[in-house]
Amino acid sequence: MTLARTAALILGAAVTVAAASAPAADLAIGGAAPDFTLPAASDGKPVARRELLSKNKGVAILFIATKCPVSNAYNERMAALAKEYTAKGIAFVGINSNKTEPAAETADHAKKNGFAFFVVKDDGNKVADAYGAQKTPEIFLLDAAGKLTYHGRIDENQDDAKGVKSPDFRNALDAFLAGKPVPVAQTKAFGCTIKRV
Amino acid sequence: MRTRRLSLLAAALFVFGAPAAAEPVKLLRPEQYRPRIVEAKNGRVLVVNFWATWCIPCREEMPRLVAAASGFTAKDVAVVLVATDTPKTAVAVPKFLKEMKVPFVCWQVKSADPQIFIDAADRSWDGTLPYTIVYDRKGAAAARLAGPQTEAAFAGAIRKALGAPR
Repeated sequence: MTLARTAALILGAAVTVAAASAPAADLAIGGAAPDFTLPAASDGKPVARRELLSKNKGVAILFIATKCPVSNAYNERMAALAKEYTAKGIAFVGINSNKTEPAAETADHAKKNGFAFFVVKDDGNKVADAYGAQKTPEIFLLDAAGKLTYHGRIDENQDDAKGVKSPDFRNALDAFLAGKPVPVAQTKAFGCTIKRV
Repeated sequence: MRTRRLSLLAAALFVFGAPAAAEPVKLLRPEQYRPRIVEAKNGRVLVVNFWATWCIPCREEMPRLVAAASGFTAKDVAVVLVATDTPKTAVAVPKFLKEMKVPFVCWQVKSADPQIFIDAADRSWDGTLPYTIVYDRKGAAAARLAGPQTEAAFAGAIRKALGAPR
């Protein structure tokens, strides 16, 4: 088998979404979120949501961008949250669905911003469509069964991490890990529109 | 093309008066949205365009809104901009409007929590930018336009709100 053919097979296996690729209506809180396997932006190796779920208490999916100033305003917060909550059993995966931001750029951005979590490339925005994700940053928190427990923003204060009064994503993570209902399970994410094909 | 742009701009200035970009951008709290923006314009069709300076599609859309509005008179149609920039980026709002010679009044959102403003403006709005609401003469939402629009889409929505053939 040639190297090119092997690479093609890996890539083919890496881009699968167990859902229709047309833009979905908003996923309901408590509803099953679509499965996916996407290639890591850094090396193309497949990252499977199913595998992350099987090894963790939950999975936090972060739709992110390299050029969006709003998403970039949250880089430090995303890195810090991932570090803190990965240790508590939540897997983090950042998804870049922007057609304007290639894998190499996405991987470089993740490295420069200290993202110690999987960052994958969603070419053709199939996963963004399946999840109904519209913006960056936009968060989907799934329980171990793959059901949606939180959807929305990280917090309300784009400008000042120290001035945050409504840490909605953190609140959701804490409640989820404590086995309690998420106090506000749905917020309105704000940021740049995902640049779709 | 350049000639057409200049004539559109000239037409816009004629219809809407002197460029409002010269005016200071006023702050708008969530509770002020209905009384200061929507109800203040009752009797005319009102186009409210929500945008931000960091939003590239919003910036690209702006000339199309200017061009679409140039086809209507100020007696029938008012256009108001609402910038959703945060305090850090709000300084760029008047600069952009001046550079682009945008002839509309612009308000700047003042809300500690963006979601409170979004809900005050339109509970069905998910916060996507750009976003435009076209109100009829009585202040009822006649069209909600999510994402960047073409000149024709703006003009069509305005004509529909006016009750004119599209």
